[in-house]
Amino acid sequence: MAGLIARRSVALVAVLFGLALIVFVLQAVVPQNPARAMVGASASPEVVAKKARELGYDEPLPVRFADYMERLFSGNLQTSLRTRNPVVADLESFAPATLELALTAAAIAAAIGVSLGLLLAAGGRLARVLRTILIGGASVPTFLSGLALILLFYSTLHLLPASGRINDTLIAPTGPTKLMLLDALLHGEPSVFWSVLTHLILPAFTLALIPALAIARVLAASCEAVMREDYVRTARTKGLRERTVILRHVLRNASGPPLTMSGLQFGLLLGGIVVVEQIFAWPGLGRYLDQSIAYADFPAITGTTLLLGTAYVIVNFLVDLAQAWADPRIRTV
Amino acid sequence: MTLRRALLALLAPALVLVAAGCGSSSTTTSTAGSATPASSTSSASHILRIPYLADMSVPDPDIFYDIEGNSVILSAYEGLLKYSPNSDKLVPDLATSWSESPDRLTYTFHLRANVHFHDGSPFTAKSVIASFKRRLNVGQAPAYMVKPIASMTTPDPLTLVVKLKEPVDPFLDYLASSWGPKMIGPEAIVTHAGKDFGQTWLQTHDDGTGPFQLTEFARGRQYVLTRNENWWGAKPFFQKVLLKITPDISTQQLELENGSVDGIMHSFPAANLSSLPSSVKVLKYPSYLRLLLYVNTNKPPFNNPAVRASLRAAIDPAKLVAEAYSGTGTNSKGPFPAELLSGQPTLPYAPNPTVAAEGVTKASTKSIVLGFTADESGIQRRVGEILQAAPEAAGWKVTVKEVQLPQVYAYINNLGAAPDLLLQTNTPDAANADTWSRILFFKEGGLNFLGFNNARVNKLLEKSRSAAPAESEQLEREAGQEVVNENGIFFLGDIDNVFVLNKDLEGVEQIPAYPWTVNYASLRRTSG
Repeated sequence: MAGLIARRSVALVAVLFGLALIVFVLQAVVPQNPARAMVGASASPEVVAKKARELGYDEPLPVRFADYMERLFSGNLQTSLRTRNPVVADLESFAPATLELALTAAAIAAAIGVSLGLLLAAGGRLARVLRTILIGGASVPTFLSGLALILLFYSTLHLLPASGRINDTLIAPTGPTKLMLLDALLHGEPSVFWSVLTHLILPAFTLALIPALAIARVLAASCEAVMREDYVRTARTKGLRERTVILRHVLRNASGPPLTMSGLQFGLLLGGIVVVEQIFAWPGLGRYLDQSIAYADFPAITGTTLLLGTAYVIVNFLVDLAQAWADPRIRTV
Repeated sequence: MTLRRALLALLAPALVLVAAGCGSSSTTTSTAGSATPASSTSSASHILRIPYLADMSVPDPDIFYDIEGNSVILSAYEGLLKYSPNSDKLVPDLATSWSESPDRLTYTFHLRANVHFHDGSPFTAKSVIASFKRRLNVGQAPAYMVKPIASMTTPDPLTLVVKLKEPVDPFLDYLASSWGPKMIGPEAIVTHAGKDFGQTWLQTHDDGTGPFQLTEFARGRQYVLTRNENWWGAKPFFQKVLLKITPDISTQQLELENGSVDGIMHSFPAANLSSLPSSVKVLKYPSYLRLLLYVNTNKPPFNNPAVRASLRAAIDPAKLVAEAYSGTGTNSKGPFPAELLSGQPTLPYAPNPTVAAEGVTKASTKSIVLGFTADESGIQRRVGEILQAAPEAAGWKVTVKEVQLPQVYAYINNLGAAPDLLLQTNTPDAANADTWSRILFFKEGGLNFLGFNNARVNKLLEKSRSAAPAESEQLEREAGQEVVNENGIFFLGDIDNVFVLNKDLEGVEQIPAYPWTVNYASLRRTSG
């Protein structure tokens, strides 16, 4: 296990360095003038030049790269060109919303994925119908499923809100976790908790839909293969209850591929966050990144990319741990 | 079949989760609609809800230089002058009257009495000096408007005398511009100065004199403006204005139709205007926002005037604007927004397929790139695609390419790598011809993205800024005529301010020079 952690730590550093390098190269090769964009159209050439100097854009490329890496190593992500806040402060402000959404979506994806996967593996007419729905569902783009859910649950049924993280006239809890659902509970605010929960359902479900379907399909295929194994037949002939056979022997041995798939899907989920946060006006990192890209705000883009990259590596590390738990053979690899 | 039963245990959590979402009809209706929560002290009818498509940059009037966010600045802060609703007529704001010396170098402003900043401190002539100086110290783009000032004196607490270094024709318009100098409480500037003239503090606070105070600035989520009960003007109807950041125009539209927001102030898809429910109304007003096609005159094929003239014959602005804007814009009649300059040169745009096709044969290359800056509503993309068709019919091979604004600002550094054509919407800083021509036609103009450079135009504009008003206008007309003749910039359309509002909102006041913005202080709800 120690070896696994060491390997993953090295991988994390390598991935972050790679991401930082890619963002820097993009910043260097894309012809753009953030200094002019920042100070505006009517700014005099002197004002633009002064801003470019402040931002370090007048330095030679190697000097800029050295400064950039030095800042990154010291945890200084610079100041956002758009919000004019330190990027670290912006990330602290936007990341909790994304974390709350991603965690909820991951939980929904896991619950639906596992349930549907087992239903499919069970076979029968229902499974065939589900399989058809899954194939169709997996091909629906996130923005379309998001809009469809808004039309159904907000416009038609008036059950759930379409946008935001909390009712706009409620006072949002400010801590301690910055996860509003949890903070509302900790502060004993049931109306806030309910408002946050209702706002969370549609975006989380939209985000979870495609990963859930992918997990379900992989789990079903994996279960079907495992159920043909001799030890499963032996377990049944020994008279074990079907529930025990499935939960103890089939599910655990079939969990490798869906766990791997979950790790990969988490990357897609992070990608989908930009779209989902856009549709549902969710004030998270996806929105921050989207607006920063339009502004060529490279400090903000760099910070967000590194944070999301770290999250991706950590989640895949956790998936590795889960796989090692499920299949002891992996621990020695 | 026992497997099915085993599955039920696993399915249960998922079903409960789904049921939690779907089974809350009796209690969540108010959350989805316009709820009146316990924590709010304002009655629902006195809360105005307006969505923003994107965050504003910063709510600091000496830095802010965008369009989204104008309504925050204009609600929290006031300048010395402003424009009368629906016009470009200068009227008093914090200055009740003003006079100009015959040599046009000295302006005397008599200031409004009994005005207080949001922190309670009184507004005086010294406050104006402090605000003007802060703008210079901050030194961002809007600082250019106070740079011509040589000195300021205060003969009495409510009189300010400003002396300019040289006559500046648009000076009074600068003071009325939505990006013009706004009054900031001098005590707040000192107390919260920090090392950046209070820039950090003003990112989340305000200390203006306006009808509303910025009481919450939750970036990415919402901004809250709360009525200033001590405002010198008529008491606004709305106690609060909630500006919620909703970046998807479809979501905004659904929320408007469901009554969760009160209005959409820009970028509403023109094609959907005809299918709105009876609960909303559409108000259209002329604005100074214009659709422009820049031509790269610095490289082949459009460095050849004959080829540019043939391109002009390929474009049909009337058809383009009608198709793209569906009645929310008109084709431009001159190089300046119509209200900015009388008697301006007419635009000789008349599609002629024969001339257009002949021009292509003279071109060194038939492949051209048309860049456009994406906007939230997607209309620029649509304009680009429609525009692509006409030159292609003439024989050009047009590649349409989306670009980001910071890239556009960088074109001037390498015009050889810039696109051949660039589609943009722009607006002047104020209702004065100079604030349009100087940034667009002048060689160093900030919006002169593709390096249009005409020696005569530059000379005319250098002269016009300090000329007397009548002469200045004549010089602007001549410069405009030269730009039209050069075919370096095509003036395609004038885009309306389109406000889609709940029917029970009344008292809409808007100003053509302040795009996408209504005066929240004059709005009221008839059902309130």
